[in-house]
Amino acid sequence: MNIASVAVAAPAGAGGRALFWQRVGPLLGLLILCGGLSLASPHFLTVDNLLNVLRQSSINAILALGQLVVIITAGIDLSIGSIVGLTIVLLALMMKAGWPWGLACVAAIAAGATVGLLNGLLLTRLKLPHPFISTLGTMNVARGAALLLAGGVPISGLPLPFRDPVAGEAFGIPAPVLIAAAVYALGHVFLARTVWGRDLYAIGGNREAARLCGIPVDRRLNLAYALSGAAAGLAAVVLAARMNSGFPLAGQGAELDAIAAVIIGGASFFGGVGTVGGTLIGALVIGFLRNGLNLLDVSAYWQMIVIGAVIVAAVTIDVLRQRIAGS
Amino acid sequence: MSPGPPPLLHVRGVSKRFGGHHALCRVDLDLFRAEVHALAGENGAGKSTLMAILSGALRPDEGELVWDGRPVSPGSVRAAQALGIGMVHQEPQLVPSLTVEENIALGRLPERLGPLRMVARGRLREEAARALEPLGAPIGPSQRVSELRLADRQLVTIARALSVGRLAPEVNPGARALGADATSWLRPQTPLGARLIILDEPTSSLAAAEVERLFDVLRRLRAQGAALVYISHRLEELRALADRVTVLRDGRVVTTSPMAQVTGDDLVRAMSGRDVAALDAGASAAGEDVLLEARGLTQRGRLHGIDLTVRRGEVVGLAGLMGAGRSRTLRAVFGAAPRDGGDVRVRPAEDAELRPVRSVAEAMAAGVGFVPEDRRQQALVLTASVQENVGLVTPPGSLRRGLLVRRVLRAAAARAVEALRIKTRGLETPVRVLSGGNQQKVVLGRWLGPHVRVLLLDEPTRGVDVGAKAEIHRHLRELAGRGLGLLVASSELPELLALCDRIYVLRQGRVVGELTREQASPVEVLRLATGAADRGAA
Repeated sequence: MNIASVAVAAPAGAGGRALFWQRVGPLLGLLILCGGLSLASPHFLTVDNLLNVLRQSSINAILALGQLVVIITAGIDLSIGSIVGLTIVLLALMMKAGWPWGLACVAAIAAGATVGLLNGLLLTRLKLPHPFISTLGTMNVARGAALLLAGGVPISGLPLPFRDPVAGEAFGIPAPVLIAAAVYALGHVFLARTVWGRDLYAIGGNREAARLCGIPVDRRLNLAYALSGAAAGLAAVVLAARMNSGFPLAGQGAELDAIAAVIIGGASFFGGVGTVGGTLIGALVIGFLRNGLNLLDVSAYWQMIVIGAVIVAAVTIDVLRQRIAGS
Repeated sequence: MSPGPPPLLHVRGVSKRFGGHHALCRVDLDLFRAEVHALAGENGAGKSTLMAILSGALRPDEGELVWDGRPVSPGSVRAAQALGIGMVHQEPQLVPSLTVEENIALGRLPERLGPLRMVARGRLREEAARALEPLGAPIGPSQRVSELRLADRQLVTIARALSVGRLAPEVNPGARALGADATSWLRPQTPLGARLIILDEPTSSLAAAEVERLFDVLRRLRAQGAALVYISHRLEELRALADRVTVLRDGRVVTTSPMAQVTGDDLVRAMSGRDVAALDAGASAAGEDVLLEARGLTQRGRLHGIDLTVRRGEVVGLAGLMGAGRSRTLRAVFGAAPRDGGDVRVRPAEDAELRPVRSVAEAMAAGVGFVPEDRRQQALVLTASVQENVGLVTPPGSLRRGLLVRRVLRAAAARAVEALRIKTRGLETPVRVLSGGNQQKVVLGRWLGPHVRVLLLDEPTRGVDVGAKAEIHRHLRELAGRGLGLLVASSELPELLALCDRIYVLRQGRVVGELTREQASPVEVLRLATGAADRGAA
């Protein structure tokens, strides 16, 4: 995806101005952040450190992409952290049982997609009133299942042929970063260029109009949540390789950073708005923020406060943008 | 039948019933190519039902549709679109975050690369350009709809209606299965995909200059051979645009004639024609004291310098067509809608002076009550009980040391049930199980306290059965008899004519007339409301 294409000439009118900020704002924020951090710490702007940040942001970036797909439809997926926990345990169990690691990875991703589909069906078939409720339920169920399957303890000692490629490097770039990049490229094409992707924007932007124009809303929603679950499965694969462990508490709280990345990246909580590029920037903002604060020896507690403040700031900007666009 | 080319769409004997209610009764209509056919009628005359049938959203119970000489029965909107029938709804159904071209092709995006279902951008752009071209508007296909003004968004919905019939069957095999003639799109390429375009009140949110631009567009479409159906209350628009006009009343066609041969008065008479229902008018209780006075009420773009007075014991009506500003005026008076100019003054007690009120809190403190238009969305907490809903306006004396006194609330609710004859199993019953009429009575029951001096009511008997309607009218007259001043906005003329001592008629945000009980009649009110009065007899 081309981040440079994010900077576009501002079309005339108040709506155009708001649009301009929606596109350029997150990138600007990231650049200012990096600028500030490079001034604050001499260790920041080194190749090693930057690669480190990218590697550490990969997992959140993958989760955030899945979350973006759901948020575009004006929904939310609280269960992705638990799906990571469940699929990482399944992955570890499969590999310990002797499955070829490639197959195990695919199966883990498929398992994630299945739980995601369950989220979708709870919404579209059972007609639960809001995805907050359906995914809150699966969040707990999946976590419980993960703990049950793992017997409450981590499963470590995963095979080297698995860990080396997935957590290693290629051409000097960490493999998780390459995986995330590939997923983002596919995600961009999916959302911006396919019928499914455009339909998701329509559903989030005006569900009634979408329905009246024959878009199969239920089918698309199921797809969105399945994709979110699959992303969680993929994140679990990368995490397992890096940690050499299938630990049932994996991903606890991960949904929050993922949602934060999507929102900071300029997506609208109300649906219909959001880009893959923006989400990438959002994930990088969080990654750089954590990294920078670490380099500056800021305590982890303060880091939480800062991230919280950034989220509120990002949403406030979203609200202001809506108001400008509406006037 | 007129000589010349046969009609594009021949509607014969179409009837539609909803439960016991006859929405349409043996309607005949001919729609010709290169013609703008106006459809006029009051609310409830059957216009929307007829258009829903033509656009495929509903199936008729009886009768047939003959399209280009062949009988058809489009069972769905997609099937009607495949025939080439496009509809522009009153509320533009657009997705603001998508581009113009994506909205034009919403649900019918052209595809390539088979199972990958990639959007064929080239064809999308082509189709949008083709649909936008006859409109002659400076709208770029890649602009986001959120950047467009309302008038331009309207044009996008028209472009969408125009491109119907081209995108649908070509790329969506599913449409063929919907019973439409799949070969309709193979006909020699006309500049338009749509051959019949229905527009439902397209100008209700447009300013005068934008309306003119829209009309240019429609005339151009007519010149290119499209058949257009134009629904509107605004007689001056019909006169400017339409070739022929059909008037519906109570589900039947009253008249169909060339526009040049009917006068505004003819139309009004045809639309309203019925006798005023014999509602017991009762004696007027109006006194001299002014209880509420609004002067120069203005809301930018919507209300222009409205003056109103309501006297003690008077029932004053607000009449006008949809979009005239009745609800807005009431809400502006109450303080629930913003005011850009003007003031409202209320006399809070017998011997007090008229006092300006600027907000809902001040209005309520001065004794003004408000019964909103949509009780389910704006007045009731459906999951709460009768008692809780009546107590939503805290009755006087119900607070002791900052806490609610349940006994007082219960008494207030019981009083409401008795005074208004609310049929409910108990005070704890959740209001959502009550009938519409009883729900409305619960809302009215909020405003029974002695401190209430003026009551503003928006459509007080909408969706209410006949029995409850009579009881509510009786209650309102009682309130007037007790010295309250009432301001009632309603789209039901018989109701206003029976209840009101005076009626203000609104049109496009202005008071265009004030009628006393003696002067008021359906024809007179409609004349003022539609602007036919301005044109005289022509």
